[in-house]
Amino acid sequence: MSVTLTKSKPGALEEVPLIKGNQTFRSITEKISEITERKTALTWVLLFSLAASVALLFFAQIGYLFWEGIGIWGLQNPVGWGWAIVNFVFWVGIGHAGTLISAVLFLFRQKWRTSINRFAEAMTIFAVIVALVFPGIHVGRVWVAYFMFPLPNQMQMWPNFRSPLLWDIFAVGTYFTVSLMFWYTGLIPDLATLRDRAKTRLRKITMGILALGWRGGNKQWKHYEMAYLLLAGLSTPLVLSVHSVVSTDFATSIIPGWHTTIFPPYFVAGAIFSGFAMVLTLAIIARKAYGLENIITIQHFEKMNKIIMVTGMMVGYAYGMEFFIAWYSGNEYEKFAFINRAFGPYAWAYWIMITCNVLIPQLYWSKKMRTSVPVMFTISIFVNIGMWFERFVITVTSLANDYLPSSWDYYSPTIFDIGLLIGSFGLFFSLFLLFIRFLPMISMAEVKGVLPQADPHHYEGEAHHG
Amino acid sequence: MNNKLMNGKAYWRSLDQLAETEEFKQFLYREFPENASELNNPLSRRKFLTLMGASIGLAGLAGCRRPVEKIIPYVVAPENIIPGIPNYYATTMPFGLNSYGLVAESHEGRPTKLEGNEKHPSTRGKASAMIQAQILGLYDPDRGQMVTHDGKTSNWTEFVTAWRSQLSGFEQNGGEGLMVISESFASPSLAALRSEFLKKFPKAEWLAFEPVSDENILNGLKKVFGSDVRPLYEMEKAKVIFALDSDFALTETESIIATRGFAAGRRMNSEQDEMNRLYVVENTYTTTGTLADHRLRLPFKRIPAFLVALTKKLQAKGLQVSLNSAIDGINSSAFDEKWLEALAGDLLKNRGASLLLAGHRQEPFVHALTAAINTALGNDGKTVHYKPLSDALLPDMAAFSSAVRQMQERKVKALALLGVNPVYAAPADLNFGEALKSVEFTVQLGLYPDETGSVTRWYVPQAHFLESWADARSADGTVSFVQPMIEPLLGGKSNLEMAQALISGEDKTGYEILRGYWQSKWSALTFESEWRRGLHDGLVSGSALPDYEVKVQSEAVAELGGSFKPKASELSKTNLELVFQVDPAVFDGRFGNNGWLQEMPDPVTKIAWDNVLIISPRTAGELNLANEELVRLSVSGLDMVAPVWVVPGQADYSLTLALGYGRRGVGRIADGVGFDAYRLRRSDALWSTEGVTLARTGETYKLASTQDHGSMEGRPLAREAGLEHYREHPHFAPEMVEHPPLKNLWKEHTYDEGYQWGMTIDLNSCTGCNACLVACQSENNISIVGKEQVSRGREMHWIRLDRYFSGDPDDPEVIFQPVACQQCENAPCEQVCPVAATVHDAEGLNVMAYNRCIGTRYCSNNCPYKVRRFNFFNNTKDYPELIKMAQNPDVTVRARGVMEKCTYCTQRINEARIRSQNENRQIYDGEVVAACQQTCPAEAIVFGNLLDPESAVSKAKRNNRNYSMLGELNLRTRTTFMARIRNPHPDLAA
Repeated sequence: MSVTLTKSKPGALEEVPLIKGNQTFRSITEKISEITERKTALTWVLLFSLAASVALLFFAQIGYLFWEGIGIWGLQNPVGWGWAIVNFVFWVGIGHAGTLISAVLFLFRQKWRTSINRFAEAMTIFAVIVALVFPGIHVGRVWVAYFMFPLPNQMQMWPNFRSPLLWDIFAVGTYFTVSLMFWYTGLIPDLATLRDRAKTRLRKITMGILALGWRGGNKQWKHYEMAYLLLAGLSTPLVLSVHSVVSTDFATSIIPGWHTTIFPPYFVAGAIFSGFAMVLTLAIIARKAYGLENIITIQHFEKMNKIIMVTGMMVGYAYGMEFFIAWYSGNEYEKFAFINRAFGPYAWAYWIMITCNVLIPQLYWSKKMRTSVPVMFTISIFVNIGMWFERFVITVTSLANDYLPSSWDYYSPTIFDIGLLIGSFGLFFSLFLLFIRFLPMISMAEVKGVLPQADPHHYEGEAHHG
Repeated sequence: MNNKLMNGKAYWRSLDQLAETEEFKQFLYREFPENASELNNPLSRRKFLTLMGASIGLAGLAGCRRPVEKIIPYVVAPENIIPGIPNYYATTMPFGLNSYGLVAESHEGRPTKLEGNEKHPSTRGKASAMIQAQILGLYDPDRGQMVTHDGKTSNWTEFVTAWRSQLSGFEQNGGEGLMVISESFASPSLAALRSEFLKKFPKAEWLAFEPVSDENILNGLKKVFGSDVRPLYEMEKAKVIFALDSDFALTETESIIATRGFAAGRRMNSEQDEMNRLYVVENTYTTTGTLADHRLRLPFKRIPAFLVALTKKLQAKGLQVSLNSAIDGINSSAFDEKWLEALAGDLLKNRGASLLLAGHRQEPFVHALTAAINTALGNDGKTVHYKPLSDALLPDMAAFSSAVRQMQERKVKALALLGVNPVYAAPADLNFGEALKSVEFTVQLGLYPDETGSVTRWYVPQAHFLESWADARSADGTVSFVQPMIEPLLGGKSNLEMAQALISGEDKTGYEILRGYWQSKWSALTFESEWRRGLHDGLVSGSALPDYEVKVQSEAVAELGGSFKPKASELSKTNLELVFQVDPAVFDGRFGNNGWLQEMPDPVTKIAWDNVLIISPRTAGELNLANEELVRLSVSGLDMVAPVWVVPGQADYSLTLALGYGRRGVGRIADGVGFDAYRLRRSDALWSTEGVTLARTGETYKLASTQDHGSMEGRPLAREAGLEHYREHPHFAPEMVEHPPLKNLWKEHTYDEGYQWGMTIDLNSCTGCNACLVACQSENNISIVGKEQVSRGREMHWIRLDRYFSGDPDDPEVIFQPVACQQCENAPCEQVCPVAATVHDAEGLNVMAYNRCIGTRYCSNNCPYKVRRFNFFNNTKDYPELIKMAQNPDVTVRARGVMEKCTYCTQRINEARIRSQNENRQIYDGEVVAACQQTCPAEAIVFGNLLDPESAVSKAKRNNRNYSMLGELNLRTRTTFMARIRNPHPDLAA
């Protein structure tokens, strides 16, 4: 006996399809693989040349930094950490969205993630690569920076395990490794697709090696999905831990403005906030450039905007709570630190931060704003600016005016501080452009999994009225 | 900002840049300079010397070749030298009429550190910043290196030969047209040579030129006592001190002893102790002003009138002081009546235990009157002594002026300048430079081929006092010996050698001359032993002169008073007064090429590397001037530019500018630093001038200030209280901060065995004089970084003197707080270092392992005192060889990228430890002396073992004024402070 199965129960809300435009498995494969296979577009070449030049500038400046010393930056006593550390925290934060999208949303079975997760994960990897450059180059004697690693040595000298900087090494190192594995694991089925479609011998061999012998058999899928689930499980705590650990660089110190217990959750929220904004920025451009409107839909963007709004408010709450605690603690130094942030010599930076991070995302209360691409593009840029300034405000204002007024000073960056920030974007975009040129920027296998056709109960022709 | 004016000094790093210039490269590649004749041109010669200087630093720059350096083993080891163990020799630094007895630490024949000589009456084991910096002056590669004649390289023999040909003429005419201008001095041997000179050449002259001197004081006292005497103060005996424009704690002569005595008179071991009270009247905040219990800011021109008003007040209260009745215009109502009343009352209450001092800038009348009041108060022989001046040549500006006139009239045929630089420092109206051109034969003996040395026909490099033999009388007349620590590094000649050559054309060594002189003085029987003891002790014990029995010639005071006519004009923003000031760093300019002194921030303004035009907040407001604005100052046809710096506590409509800056052609450090105030100085207005106008230039000039924020923001950092309050609340200082009990989450290290080092700094004694800062720099090889880096906040000093203003912004009080590493037991820096480069040792020291440090700067960020210093560049790499010799071999020279900070002079602790272990005993209390502590003239710093309950530091820590700064953070600092107590007059206490 056959029973006619209906997909939706009476009374249930009609689901908005995740992927639009009546996509089929084939059309998805075509659409995404084709981007990596066609002739290099002139626009890409131009963009890549630009990004690579800026990246080159980045490395040239690092070379000069190694030659001359940290003094080429604007650092001084009392501000021992400046833009380099701000950039580090900023880029690590950017990375968070990728892991959140790929791991946490995966565990929560948020299927809409499939269109953007590859993208976001790649961004994570590149952001962490860029971030890792900074702690490496900001030390005074780079040639002995390896002292930070727990390497066995004849002096039996270990690093200081009480130092949050050491925790950073482990936290960010682990994060990078796991993120890379997770990303690569996700890439395998798609790489196999590319291999199968390859026309040239070189491409066949490269993709063949990268695909690690993937055939798409049932057993392979079974193991693969288990591995993917495990990696997602492994990554999930990292989303919380990495920026929590980074925040301890500040939170475990005794400097007013740094020494607060709210930092770990506040940093994580901020990281997700900035990460989503960055994903949004990149996705909007790529979607437009490669005509992916049907795969990355407005619905995806709206969901991301909601997350941006939520995390933005969490960050705003943290800003407010810091002030409250500073007052409530009765600690004069703490109180001063926060009043000084908002009204002191760096007030300009503080209000940029508040405007970008707290005020501007409030526009997302309106659905019209949430779903307007130009609006969200602008807002995502503002959020990134705001989050960079958040790290600047935390790092610099606390150091510049701490306990003894006699040592207070005003920190201003030099051309090399500015150059390294710009250069870091060059490196990031170079890597990202390479990625979208040579690898499938959207996970074909996973997108196919959320198509109606992938549903075992799907019947051709019933998809849109069942 | 004007870049040219910014003049970023990169100190020795500039050698790099110098090595990059085209000329230098040419010089390198030419084995012989192509065109040797260009050396005749003084400009080229200068360049050549500069290049020679740079080539010293070249050894490190030539990367492709291994530098060839000859090493010579001690085949026969010199006696008394054990490699690695320093020797100590007594010597003396002559300084005008004064001299400072020192002990030099010498490593394998290389002096590296100076300390005061315990036995010497003018130092008593202490020293000042200027003295501490003399080590660097010795090794200054910019010092004159060769005799020059009309710009050509010559040598000493040629000079002596040339002089002999002049000499015969002068021998015949009795020395007519022969003139010697030297510094003032008090030296038996040099005085003897001078007498010989004047005997041989009766028509010749030998006079002294000093741009800054005690001439006014000496003149005033001579008028009132009828003899050449100088005052010597016993501050510790004074209960009430009134300093009239006298910065006795820093820029006046004998400041070391004055500071020591003043601090002793204020030391509070308990709240029951008595302390002195200091009244100060001055126009600019000086270190002495900061110490005052009551400070009255007055324009410079009104200061003498204040003394007259005080005298009248004292007379009214029954003190017998003669004062010319002609001075009618002034009465006490012109000044703060209550203030005068309190001061006069205090002085009269403490007859025989009070003291009035007037500064060297005040006119002779003021000194005469001051002395008369001191006598009337019965202070003579108690708080003030007068010592005859023996074997001395006194400064005499009038004689100098007439000498310049003689030069202009072409009456001078030959002129020898011994250690003076009048082209730079003579009053501008005399136009010494022009007058010099009228003299046929001119020679300068000088440390640097400076403004004068570069225009005299002959220039002879002078030996540094650490390279020469001489003797000197100190302020109390004690004879002390100047012993060379090293052969003249650059081949200089001493004053004695030059004087001998001038007299007889003989080329005798300083040793021969000095020994010869004393052989003629002492009996041949005991000579050898006395000579040896004199050299060993650094002085001839018992050679102090007896007090001069004073008798005030009251008519003389009255007569002087008659000539005192205060100008009636009122100061206003269109009639400003300009006051010149002795610079605490470069003095009259002579230490301009000393990097340590240049980088030392001014005690009050905290400006390093420049002099500034100090202006009061109110005047600046009225004239609409802001910090760092360049203004043009004009007065009587002379003008100059200077940058404005607003300093609270400055008298309104009174501008102050330090002398000694804006030098040219002296050396890499001095050139172009600051602004030459001598250009406005006239011989009839040496210290102040009225009717100055200010004009904006529209430009600004970047200044390097080491402390931007002057307020304590209400934080209990440097703690202080009035004496009354202290007596009522003896524990006010430690109880100033309320905090929960300080508990740790885990078990703390107990630090209860061995030695546990600790320090106390008494804020009640500290004068903010910077002696500790330079002593530390010298002991610990701290590099200087140049003005540009200082303005970026990258100065390297391990100890700094925080200066805080409090109270009325126009007329605030000042407190100094010396801050070095506090050596926290729970050190926040240690916890955050990822590589464990900064850790605690068993004796409670927070130590740095430089070769483990990777330079994350996290420790510095987490230091609440911000006392850690980071090497942003390789500050030491390009040191010239000579400068390297000034380094203390016991202390690591830090490279680029590492953090450094105060170590409690750990090398000294180790030295004492080794010695005590060799002798199988404990380290005595007081055996380890930190460099800052050793030099501190106020004896504000105490250091020692905290576990020894009888040690000085343990006793100090038990004092109820003792507190730990930021103690509420539970850092358990080993350095603690003792709160300052002010002793206001009850009637004036606000």
